[in-house]
Amino acid sequence: MIGVRILGIGSPSGDDQAGWLTVDALLAEGMQAPGIDIQKLDRPGANLIPLLGDAAWVILIDAMQSHEAIGHIRHFGVADWPAYRHGLSSHGLGVLDALALARELGSLPARLDLYGIEIGAANPGEQTSHAVQAAAQQLAQRIAAGLSLKQPA
Amino acid sequence: MMTEQKRTVSIHVPVLTRVEGEGALDLRIDNGEIAELRLRIFEPPRFFEKFLEGRHYTEIPDMVARICGICPVAYQVTAAQALEKLFGVELDPWARAMRRVFYCGEWIQSHSLHIHLLAAPDFFGCNNAIELARIAPDEVRRGLRIQALGNELMDLFGARSVHPVGVRVGGFHGAPAPAQINAIRDKLRAALPEAEALVRWTASIAVPQDDQPFLSVAMQHPTDYAIETGAIGVSDGLRIEADAFDAHFAERHEPHSTALFSTYHQQPYLVGPLARLNLNHARLPEAVKTLLAEIGLALPSRNLFHSLVARAVEILLALHEALRLLDAYRLPDSPWVLVTPRAGVATGCTEAPRGLLWHRYEMDDDGRVVNARIVPPTSQNQGRIEEDLRLSLLNFGLDQPDDALRLHCEQVIRNYDPCISCATHFLRMNVERT
Repeated sequence: MIGVRILGIGSPSGDDQAGWLTVDALLAEGMQAPGIDIQKLDRPGANLIPLLGDAAWVILIDAMQSHEAIGHIRHFGVADWPAYRHGLSSHGLGVLDALALARELGSLPARLDLYGIEIGAANPGEQTSHAVQAAAQQLAQRIAAGLSLKQPA
Repeated sequence: MMTEQKRTVSIHVPVLTRVEGEGALDLRIDNGEIAELRLRIFEPPRFFEKFLEGRHYTEIPDMVARICGICPVAYQVTAAQALEKLFGVELDPWARAMRRVFYCGEWIQSHSLHIHLLAAPDFFGCNNAIELARIAPDEVRRGLRIQALGNELMDLFGARSVHPVGVRVGGFHGAPAPAQINAIRDKLRAALPEAEALVRWTASIAVPQDDQPFLSVAMQHPTDYAIETGAIGVSDGLRIEADAFDAHFAERHEPHSTALFSTYHQQPYLVGPLARLNLNHARLPEAVKTLLAEIGLALPSRNLFHSLVARAVEILLALHEALRLLDAYRLPDSPWVLVTPRAGVATGCTEAPRGLLWHRYEMDDDGRVVNARIVPPTSQNQGRIEEDLRLSLLNFGLDQPDDALRLHCEQVIRNYDPCISCATHFLRMNVERT
């Protein structure tokens, strides 16, 4: 059983790398330690589910698009996940689809924190915007601070 | 992500939206008869074949792996084997065997995903796999375990399961250590009873009774259930080598689809698991044949709804095949052999999870692509899907309510596991009645 698993989710398309940048920032801050598993995932689909079941605490970071300013960070607990709106697809099983399926199967960790970073354009090959880069740094610091409260130094 | 809070908030990951294909169905019923039925695919063309022009042969396996996130092995192996044939490369027996094992991993993961996430919910009155998980959690968990094992097999030879990078022209870039093989053999063996239970479960699911005449097209091999080697077989008895594909199969544009329609001697045809099972069931391992006899599936089948159980049978086959080939595992002297390119035309085909996949490359003296053609299974099935919908709807009854017609059409289309938009509710169906 893994103590804490941090999963940055994204794709190589502009601001959609928000989750990856957050993980990069965490690694740059030296957050790798025994009991902490940190991974960057590219649209994992159903493969996300096994990564939830064997960890006590999972922190997921993904890009989101709502009506907030680019770079806005939002936290979702298990009780207030965004509502499931899409149909399922083997090609496009989204993070929320996978989480909803894991919940039905009783495969969620004891603690799950989902962070969304508001993004702008997500075009293949483009760089991430400054606002998203800054947000990723900020979120990494927030997550690191939260972990340092729980983990012995 | 999509969300709906107390105020309306729409959240989505646009890249996910874009990787999904888009399809629609137009159905017009005049005076109780089908006046128009068109499966429209409007996924924008990706010009992959054009991207390949000028590329060195060493780049091709990795480039074509990007065509599909679900079946990259099919694209890699087909390209590599076509080029190896042209270049006169004789693979080490180790590499030949491990290509088949690698491919088995892809069949296992792709089929399990399709059965549990896409197809099965229909037959239980569920809108999606999340609802199915409420009433059949053990079956969905088992499906995800089997799918994960397929991914693990792909990881082993491809370094990762999505867009793997293990295959090269001449073999593989590396060979897994015997300890890794021993570990996965144990898992494959442990999965056999799970796959047998999956076959029994899919066979027990009540599916619509349909009986249609159609041509099955699948590769055939003298001794094996064809996956990565063999000639193209047709249920009319003809056997065709990969380089004669164009003499028998034709592709054409239809204005309503960005995917090409394929015909065999001017007729639509079926590729995929049921076509393979129809043509090759005699080549299944004895243990699988015994189970087929137990469940009472009569082959060849003319009911496309048997595609569900056909995929389950192929998962069991793939587990047996992977185990058989890995039982004799040894580390090769080298996982690849040297390759000397030469100019000419390379053709090759393999059986992707969704059916026959055919590649053709014209190469220059330096081993660069002059032009490329790739015929994927979904475009080959497109004409058959339209024909199936027409026949199946008549059998179902055109006087059914719109919602029932829509669901039936979606079920029919999902039998083919089309690689366009597999979203459960991808089908925007316009019904006109006069």
